[in-house]
Amino acid sequence: MIFLFACISAFALDFDPDGRLIMSLGGEVSVVNPVLSTDTTSSAIEGVIFNGLVKVDKNLNFIPDLAKSWKVSRNGLTWTFNLRRDVAWHDGAPFTADDVKFTFDTILNPKVNSVRRGDYIIDGKPIKFKVVNRYTVQAILPKPFSPFLTSASMGILPRHILNGKELDMSDFNRHPIGTGPFIFIEYKAGDHVLVKRNPKYYAGSPKLKEILFKIIPDENTALVALRSGSIDETGIPPKDFHPIKHVNLYKYDALLYTYLGFNLKSPKFSDVRVRQALSYAVNRKQLIGLIFMGLASPAYSPCAPVSWAYSDDVHKYEYDAQKAKELLKQAGVKDLEFTVLVNQGNKEREKAAAILQQQFDKIGVKMNIRVLEWSALLKIINARKDPKDFDAVIIGWSTGVDPDSYSIWHSSQYPGGLNFIGYSDPRVDKMLDAGRREQSKAGRKGIYAKMYKEITNDAPYVFLWYPNVLAGVRNRVGGLSEPGPAGLFMDIEKVYIKK
Amino acid sequence: MRKFILRRFIQLIPLLIGISLITFFVMHMAPGDPTALFADPSIKPEELARIRVNWGLDKPVIVQYFIWLKNAAKLDFGYSYISGKPVVEEIFERLPATVLLMSISFFLILLISIPVGVISAVKKGSVFDNLFTVVSFIFMSIPSFWLALIFMLVFSLKLGWFPPFGNIVLPCAVMVISGLAGITRYQRASMLEVLNQEYIKVARAKGLPEYLVIYKHALRNSLIPIVTMLGLSLPDLFGGAFIIETIFAWPGMGRLGVSAVFSRNYPVIMGITVFTAVLIVFGNLLADIGYAIVDPRIRYAEKK
Amino acid sequence: MLKKNKLALSGLIILATLFILAVFAPVIAPYNPNEIIEDHIAAPSLAHIFGTDDLGRDIFSRLIFGGRVSLSVAVIAVAVSLTIGILLGCISGYYGGILDEVIMRFTDIMLSFPTIFLILAIQSVLTPNIFNVMVVIGATSWMGIARLVRGEFLALKEREFVEAARAIGCSDLRVIFRHILPNSLPPVIVAGTLGMAGAILTESALSFLGLGVQPPMPSWGNMLMDSQSYLLDAPWMAVIPGLIIVLAVLSLYFVGEALRKELNPKE
Repeated sequence: MIFLFACISAFALDFDPDGRLIMSLGGEVSVVNPVLSTDTTSSAIEGVIFNGLVKVDKNLNFIPDLAKSWKVSRNGLTWTFNLRRDVAWHDGAPFTADDVKFTFDTILNPKVNSVRRGDYIIDGKPIKFKVVNRYTVQAILPKPFSPFLTSASMGILPRHILNGKELDMSDFNRHPIGTGPFIFIEYKAGDHVLVKRNPKYYAGSPKLKEILFKIIPDENTALVALRSGSIDETGIPPKDFHPIKHVNLYKYDALLYTYLGFNLKSPKFSDVRVRQALSYAVNRKQLIGLIFMGLASPAYSPCAPVSWAYSDDVHKYEYDAQKAKELLKQAGVKDLEFTVLVNQGNKEREKAAAILQQQFDKIGVKMNIRVLEWSALLKIINARKDPKDFDAVIIGWSTGVDPDSYSIWHSSQYPGGLNFIGYSDPRVDKMLDAGRREQSKAGRKGIYAKMYKEITNDAPYVFLWYPNVLAGVRNRVGGLSEPGPAGLFMDIEKVYIKK
Repeated sequence: MRKFILRRFIQLIPLLIGISLITFFVMHMAPGDPTALFADPSIKPEELARIRVNWGLDKPVIVQYFIWLKNAAKLDFGYSYISGKPVVEEIFERLPATVLLMSISFFLILLISIPVGVISAVKKGSVFDNLFTVVSFIFMSIPSFWLALIFMLVFSLKLGWFPPFGNIVLPCAVMVISGLAGITRYQRASMLEVLNQEYIKVARAKGLPEYLVIYKHALRNSLIPIVTMLGLSLPDLFGGAFIIETIFAWPGMGRLGVSAVFSRNYPVIMGITVFTAVLIVFGNLLADIGYAIVDPRIRYAEKK
Repeated sequence: MLKKNKLALSGLIILATLFILAVFAPVIAPYNPNEIIEDHIAAPSLAHIFGTDDLGRDIFSRLIFGGRVSLSVAVIAVAVSLTIGILLGCISGYYGGILDEVIMRFTDIMLSFPTIFLILAIQSVLTPNIFNVMVVIGATSWMGIARLVRGEFLALKEREFVEAARAIGCSDLRVIFRHILPNSLPPVIVAGTLGMAGAILTESALSFLGLGVQPPMPSWGNMLMDSQSYLLDAPWMAVIPGLIIVLAVLSLYFVGEALRKELNPKE
């Protein structure tokens, strides 16, 4: 009788209740702790184990996660978050406002090696967190700051486990406890990470029983595994993005762009016509054709098209070698020679450098390529001196959900900040400040549109491309989100394996 | 005998100190440092500076070395910068995989090289011998990483006989082929030298059957120098393992070492270098002791 | 010369060919090795005898320019290792005593490192380029030569011609360089030849891992690095540079072996 019942209920489900999803990880996990980790592999695991106060939907709007609602005070200084009351940690303890305050206080603690600390300090003053009652927490800002909500998506840590412990070496980082849809089981170094379903998850018990994250550092190896079915998803290199049996292919935009940045304090690039000439000399179509087999979009603006702040009304330097030569002549520049820095190990950028070298050669400009190890490159461009020791660099930005790009373009962020090219325009400075104060989305969009136009007129970067995310998922996997920058596995609790 | 072993052990200490000193200073010649490795350029430089202090990286290098040495004496090699795990734990987690790969390769190399070397020596000048010479030279000329790529291409991708990662057959095959030629040639040379000795000629003159001459007398004596040779080839075997593990994604110590090098993970680099060097030094020590046990001339020389 | 050793002869011919191709590369190469032609990942054809790579560059041209790089690295690396090795070996073997002890201990230490790992570590610390690759390979492969030279000196310094030279008042330096060293050269020459073979293999391994010669400057090793992602799509990118390495190293081994036989008549 029971057996019959079980059979019938099994048939009623259109998914396999014991389904195990196998995802690929591109490298080792460092620490499974959102406050400490800086690499994408660890955040992939953290994404299914922890929750933040808010998360993003497929359009990159902020939606409730652990906070069911929030409001900002009139003066923009106090953010009040009302927390859900039905959330429990994986060990059964209840989630409360104390956990939230604990998490942010930990980040702000200078003894903890969290690189996120800077996100919670505005103009040198830290954000203060206050517990109002068991399920209400407030963030008190030193000044109005609309990008704050991004920092509110930080994964929350359990106070009852970590209070008083030293976070950096803690065993917690290898055996994390969170509130998320999946519970951590094990990490076998060099091989895999395994998590299992959290039946008490606040948004409902996940359809998947387990997720196995297989560590496969080589993308070609991962592709072979996808083809043979030993993994269910992986990123696909552009040259292999062709139909694969039993696999669904997805192509979507990400919040990234790659560019060639000029050291604006160098006499070689102080004339805007030189910078514009080099921008016109780049044949983005050829670049994208050779590196990505056409699977990327040419970039002309410091904002990715998929962001709500994107504006198409910018000065576009579309390929025109003739115009490039003329501009150089007008600027009175002959035999321009410079060195570009590229980070070692990033094949796309190395190839781009080789191709740009040839493209610039056609307009009579000699570009030398210097490949540097990543930390060595960072040391040069982040050095606190003026002028810095480089001519140009090929690098990229991951622009984050909030379009605020203060740290990249504001004149105060040089030489000790991300504005390592030394860009300085008082009008842009004003617009950056205004964008942070303005609380309405429409208002901010208007401000940023004007700003992007201003920046592109100056050509401080040669914007190169917006990469596409190319992924393949085996068709036994269902419940995926719509392809978009939030990813296909955004609502991981809804993902399932078909029968 | 005991004095001999004791002396050798004592000679180890300056060796180990020298190894660790050189490695430590090489590591700290770096223009970048581990904090700059946080692969997110949006992290503010003040945060990185703070972490440097937390990690003790602001102290002068020589002070850092002595701190490391003090801890190392207690077998505390610190914590990995990437994972926060104790270095010894990380190394021992990966050690079995490398040991497995190396032992199987070692064993297979011996299995093939001794008979081939002996037969080549016995049949010196024959077709077999000449063929062996050419083939062994070819094997020595093949870069091991290229062989790995070709094997991956043919056996994994084209024929699909083996998965590109997780199997031990392909990495083993590459290591064996790379290491085979040297040892086989050495075995041949050693056997040739033994065969020319007086006592062999005497044995033949006494009318002993040929196979007894070869297998009872010559072979055993020819194996003695092989012991030393094996010890000497340890550094290369380890080195080869490093690259091959990386290509075949074999989760061993070699891959840990290579990625630690790329990420400036000083504690792990120090740990692996010292560990490997210690293994090599011990390997040679065992070889020397074994040699001394077997060859009485060495022991008598010590007594002088 | 031993013409009867056919292997050595063919080795010599191959080496000579490679060197000529390398020296005259700018004249012989049909294309600029960095020039991008739209037809990328093209199989070998009449226009491109070894095909094109992922960025549309002619592989044959890159191969011979790469030969310039790989061969010059080998030559200079060996020069460095010979210099260091001979110097240390001379001092150690001639003077003996404490100097000998110290130098030999240092040699032992260097020999205990898994060499490739040490080189990797050093290269990751510097910014790899063709110059420091040469120096680093040379600086980690002198040990065998030092021991060899020391051995020769130990054997030779008690001989009569040395006594005679000292008797007529030759300075130590003169005795070392004018009298003993020339007589100990033969095995060193053999070691040098084999050293070149080893240097080619090491440089290609380094460049393959990205810690050697940096692209876009071609070297046989970094051409193999580029070929990794295209194993199935463009196997010629991987097969051809590898074969060239095997050919070059093999030729060096044949020549070295012939030299060794020539200088060791007892075999």
